[in-house]
This record gives sequence, structure tokens and C-alpha cells, in this order.
Amino acid sequence: MKFKPFFLLVFAWVWVSLAACLPSPRPDRPAGYLVIALESNPTHLDPRYATDANSVRIGGLIFNALTHTDQHARLQPELAERWEAVDERTYLFHLKKGVTFHDGKPLTAADVKFTYESVLEPKNRSPRRATLRLLKAVDAIGPYQVRFRLSAPYAPFLENSTLGIVPTGTPSRGASGKNSLIGSGPFSLEQFSPGEKVVLKANPSYWGGQPGLSGLVFKMIPDAIVRSLEFKKGTVDFIQNDIEPDNLIWFKKNTNASILTQQGTIFQYLGMNLDHPILKILEVRQAIAYAIDREAIIRHLLKGLATPATGLLSPSHWAYERSVPRLPYDPEEAKRLLDHAGFPDPDGDGPLPRFKLSYKTTTLDLRRRIAEAFKEQLSRVGIELEVRTYEWGTFYGDIQKGNFHLYSLSWVGITDPDIYFNLFHSSSIVPYGNNRGRYRNPEIDRLLERGRNSLSPEERKQIYSRVQKILAVELPAIPLWWAKNVVLMKRNIEGFVPFPDGDLISLKNVSIASPFPPS
Amino acid sequence: MKRYFTNRLLLFVPTLMGSLTLVFFLIHFIPGDPVEVMLGETASSVDKEALRQELGLNQPLGIQYIRFFSALLQGDLGRSLYEQGTVAELILSRFPATMELTLAAMGIALFVAFPLGILAAVKKNSLMDRIALLFSLLGLAMPNFWLGPLLMIIFSIELGWLPVSGREGLAHLILPSFTLGMLMASILIRMVRSSLLETIHEDYIQTARAKGLSEWRVWLKHALGNSLLSVITIVGLQFGALLAGSIITETIFAWPGIGRLTIQAIQTRDYPLVQGCVLVISTSYLVVNFLTDILYHLADPRVSYGP
Repeated sequence: MKFKPFFLLVFAWVWVSLAACLPSPRPDRPAGYLVIALESNPTHLDPRYATDANSVRIGGLIFNALTHTDQHARLQPELAERWEAVDERTYLFHLKKGVTFHDGKPLTAADVKFTYESVLEPKNRSPRRATLRLLKAVDAIGPYQVRFRLSAPYAPFLENSTLGIVPTGTPSRGASGKNSLIGSGPFSLEQFSPGEKVVLKANPSYWGGQPGLSGLVFKMIPDAIVRSLEFKKGTVDFIQNDIEPDNLIWFKKNTNASILTQQGTIFQYLGMNLDHPILKILEVRQAIAYAIDREAIIRHLLKGLATPATGLLSPSHWAYERSVPRLPYDPEEAKRLLDHAGFPDPDGDGPLPRFKLSYKTTTLDLRRRIAEAFKEQLSRVGIELEVRTYEWGTFYGDIQKGNFHLYSLSWVGITDPDIYFNLFHSSSIVPYGNNRGRYRNPEIDRLLERGRNSLSPEERKQIYSRVQKILAVELPAIPLWWAKNVVLMKRNIEGFVPFPDGDLISLKNVSIASPFPPS
Repeated sequence: MKRYFTNRLLLFVPTLMGSLTLVFFLIHFIPGDPVEVMLGETASSVDKEALRQELGLNQPLGIQYIRFFSALLQGDLGRSLYEQGTVAELILSRFPATMELTLAAMGIALFVAFPLGILAAVKKNSLMDRIALLFSLLGLAMPNFWLGPLLMIIFSIELGWLPVSGREGLAHLILPSFTLGMLMASILIRMVRSSLLETIHEDYIQTARAKGLSEWRVWLKHALGNSLLSVITIVGLQFGALLAGSIITETIFAWPGIGRLTIQAIQTRDYPLVQGCVLVISTSYLVVNFLTDILYHLADPRVSYGP
């Protein structure tokens, strides 16, 4: 065989040149569809398996639940017309009539029963199963009434009524086809290409009224700069929160975007290991809180896209307690507290620290810059901070094992205040829950137990008010800030109402005023 | 030669086993727990333990290793712990995108490198030579994560000729493949130039010239053909670098390939998926190296591979 390298080369040239010249076979945007950029891939749109924020938000457009949470984290009717607590262990839900799935079949109590039972089935490995552990039975009483029976009183149970309902017989995890999910929501699933995009089509016979758009395209664009460029080019119409604070200034200068900012519920905190001999001292924790200049970090690093936090629950939450002690930036007070705690500065303003601690964070650029700010601010009061950055999986593994001095993470999707039980009750110390700092306080334990057993909203509000006040003094974790939600959209998009938790449900009411202008 | 290639094919097995073994232990030794990711933060420790047991993650690592290899020998790569579907399905859905990008990048690298390298050699020390070398230097100096957005700004935003990112049609392939191919092109330009300059002083080139052949024919037919060996070596080796480099390019251009899948799998400690991705990437690398050896022989029949 005679080898002709030159001809092979020419063949390669021709192939690549032809490939480059051919037009795109599919348009980026079907007519009337809104294109939304997402940073990360939704993994499971089936509400029984969805855990990541994007899966939950997109799933919320495909599926309906018995209830949904409003902007104050209160439950509002969705598929349920109303509900009542028959006794402290039994809830009865009355379903709306005339609701159909995307395939035209009616949604009845049997579907609700099926959905909850498939979550409870251990072999289905649903991440929602743990939250339903007290659910003893689900009974369909006729086609439009569902009864939930619990094995013990549990007030936060109602939060589980936000689980999306799937039709009877929907296959379990893995067995279900990616493109065959059927819900009853305002949009139906048209295409799911993992790592690439999710396309939803408007459901013209939606019981809550036909959506204003023909459909939605969720495009996965991992890189922040590329998301910005896609928006600038006009191939992306809408971005929520997946915007780097630094890029926001660029958007303001270079695009004609409409930018909405709103108080969000994502809570950023500084976690501490209370088993550490230094960090278990309350005055040290208070000194760290006084030494951190949250305002400066928010202004310079987060570009104003956050509000200093007083605790886990944001001001929009129904159980939020306003009158908790606040620890403003006060380095002198921090120094005084450290002196008093028995950690005098060995050489005044000299280089020797009072003590050293390590701080773990991820390799993300913004997180590293925040870590450097903490390091500098703490060094001013004589605390040396060693910043250690890790890839996400390693970082999270260490935090879940309680292997840290200090770290910072955020809590997303806070609805029922019973979340305090998971974070601060002594029975929730890792690995049994998410009390990663190993905080123990018998009074908090008693309050949190009462909080989850009481069915009276007024009593629960009082209980969690007390919890918030104690934690603001004890500081098992230092509240840093609540992130603001940022929505960037084309000016001709009308009807979008941002939710504090980033829910996208109001996309069903969105319409496009005129053809998309270039930005 | 047959024996040589049979031996090379047989060597595939221990090489693959070696890389899979290494990755198996590395991914298990680094901290992180797939069960935490699968069940979420609210799951009880009882549920987590039950799932660990069901998945066999609580067994000694040696047993898990044996189980993994015995399943692999039966052609079962397992099921992803986090994503929907089996590992084989996930890889099959993403691998074509990566191969498309890698091959196009290679095509562009060859498309750019050969003419520039040949011109630089033929017109040594001329303006053309300096331009080619400058181009090569720039390509070596510009990282993908910088070059990619730069090309987007020029060709997608300012000129409006090409799409920014995604994988919708062939037009979407141009910028990522150019970004990925640039480094390879830069190396190849220098390789082609130096190999040609080395060959051009050989006696048989003087003979060709004495026969009265045109200068271009001497360069392209006699010199280029014989300087291809070293170029083929670099192309083969660079293919592995392209596969690895595609992880960054795929992230920048939102290209749904195996590179991004591998990164996600590592982040979520999706052990079976990481193993599957490594298997595919290692196999591709081995196959390309094998093909390189065959090309060696085709490019220069004097090259033999033992008795």
C-alpha cells in the first residue's frame, strides 16, 4: 500500500472546511420560547428524586404538588383546595377536581397515594424518604380526598405536601426514561439532554390557565463569562442568580438588561467546631463574630448582592425574629473578649498571633477571595487563619465528618423552621444529622422538640423566636449574610415575579412583549 | 510485524487494568461520600448505612475492587450513582461529542500546522517564517480558558458570525475545535519546520534536485514524506493531550462531552461513572497510539517491528 500523506491532509482540510461552512441544522430558539441559562446540570427532574436546586425548580414547572410555599414560606393551596388536621397525627387533603396530567388522564387521590408510597419504598432510594419517616399510611378516600396518617405528631410534616405528584405507575429511579416524565404543571417535558439542555413545552390545557410562553429552554452553560456573552449576543434571555458579582457591573454597562435584585433566603454562615479547645469558648466565638467586617465583604467582594444576616431565617420568613442581639464589626471589642478569654496578644501589634486556626473552603475563586478577607480581618485582632482550599467533594466530605476548625457554607431552600432541629439539636450531631459543629444545649433541645410537636402556628412562632435569640448569643455558627436573588432578563419580558427562594414558578405567567431586541 | 501488533494488542489489557486500578484506589482514598450526595443532607444515618450496604460501599476496598473487575469482565460498567441511567448509556451519549471535538481540533491543528510549517521551512528566515513562529509562540502561550472567551468575543459578539457555545450544529464546532486545536497546531508547526529543515540536507534530496525536479516537488514529495515520522509521533502523543484538554474546552463552550461528565462524576464521587470514563479515555489513548504505530510503518516501510 502506498501512503499519500498529502492527500490525507487535503482530505482533512476539505472535511473541516465543509463542516465549518454548513449551517446549523436546528435553530437555537424555537419561536416563542424563552432561553434561560443555568450554571449546573439538573440531574433528576422526577420530584421524588430531585435534590439539587435546578432539578427542583424545573420540576416545579412540570409537576404540581398538593401545596406550594409562598414568599413567606407559608403553604398555599395548589392541587389541594384545602386541608385540615383531623387530629395531631392525621391530615386530610381535599383535591381540586378537573386537574389532568399532560397525557389527558385525570389526577386523582390514587396518584397522590402512589407518589408518596413510591417515595417510602426503600428500594426506590428516594432522598425524600427521610423526611417522610413518620408517615405511617396514605389512604385515598374516594377520588378527591387523601388522608395521611403519622406514627407520631410532627408539625413539619405539612412541608412534605410540596412534593410533586406523578401519575400512578411512573417507574422508579433509573427505570424512568429521561424524556418520558408526565406531570400536571404548566409546562411538559419536551427534551432532556443531560449536560446540555432541558426543553419544556407549554401545556395549553393547564388547569391554572395557559402559560404566556410557547415554551422554555434551560441551557447548561457552566462558565460565568460565557453565560454573560450568550446574554449579550441575545441567545440567552434570562439568568437568575448564576451571575458572578463582578459580572453584574459589566451587564449594567454593556447590555440593555433589566436587572432585578431581591432579598433571598440563602443563608451563608461561618461554621465552627465546638469540640475544639479554643472554639468551645463562647468569648472566642463572639470575638470572631466582632472581628469579621461583613459590610466590607458584601460591598467589595459581593458587590452589594447580600444583606448582613442575623440568623438562619430571613426577614421574609413567617417565623423570623427581628429582635435578636447583633454583633457588628468591632475589632476592639473582639480584642477585649480575646484578652478576657485568656488569649492575650503576645507582642501587641507584632507578628505573633494569639492562636492559630484553620479555615476550609472550596477552590471557587469567590470563596477563596472571601477566605483571604477573613484571614486579613482576623489577623487584625491577633488570630492567625490558615486558609485551606479543597475541591468540592473533598471539602464537603471533611465538613460532613466534622473534620475542621472553621468553614463557611450556605443553607438553601429553608422552609419549615424545624431545620433548626437538624442543625442544632444534640441528637443531630454528625453523622446522625447536620449538627456539624457538635453544638449541645439542653434548652435548645427541649425547644426544638416542642417546636416539631406543636401544631399551633402561634406557639411555634414563639418557640422559634426563643431559639433564634439563644443561638444569636451562643453562636454555634456565626451568621454572615443572606444572598440577594439577582434576575437578569431582556427588557421585553413581562410578568416575572422573583421568589425569595429562587423558585421559577412565576415563569408560567411570563410573556414576551415584542420580538427580542439586541442587548 | 503481525506478532508485534498482536503483542501490542495484548498489552492493552494490563495497561487498562493498571490505569483502572490506579483510579479505583485514588477515587476511593480521597475524602467524600457518594451516599451523602445521593440521599441529600436530611437523610438519616440509618438510611445512609442501608444504602452503603446495598451498594456494597461498606465492604473492604479489596472486595469492592474484585467485584468491580468481575462485573467489568462481564461487560457491566454498572449504574451511575447520581445521574440517571447506566454508565454505558451515559458514556455513549457523551462520547461522540468529545470525539467530534477532538477530531475536529486535530483536523484544524493539521490544517494550520502543515502549510505554516512547510512555508516556514521553505522560506527559512523570511517574514513568512517569522510569522509562522510567532503564531506558534502565541498558541503555546495562550491557555484554553483565555483563548476560548477571546474567540467568542471576536467571532460571536463583535462579528456575529458564529454561535457562542453549545452543540446544536456544525457551526457550533468551529470555535471550540479551534481553541482546542491551537496548542497542538503550535507544537506541530515547529515540528514540521524542524523536521523538514533536517531532511532537506540529506543526500537523496540533492539527488532529487539533480534529477531536475521542481523545488516544490522536492519539498512536498521527498522531504515532507520522510520527515513525517517525528510528526506522527507528536500527533499520536498530542491526541491524549487533546482528550485531556477537552475537559476545559468542553466546560468553556458548554460542550456536552465526556470531559465534563468526568469532572461531574469526580465531584459527586460517582465511582462507577469515574471508572467508566477513565476506561473510555484510556482505551482511546491506547487505540490512537496503536494506530500511530501502524502509520509509522505506512509512512516509512523501512520501519519494522522485530522479526
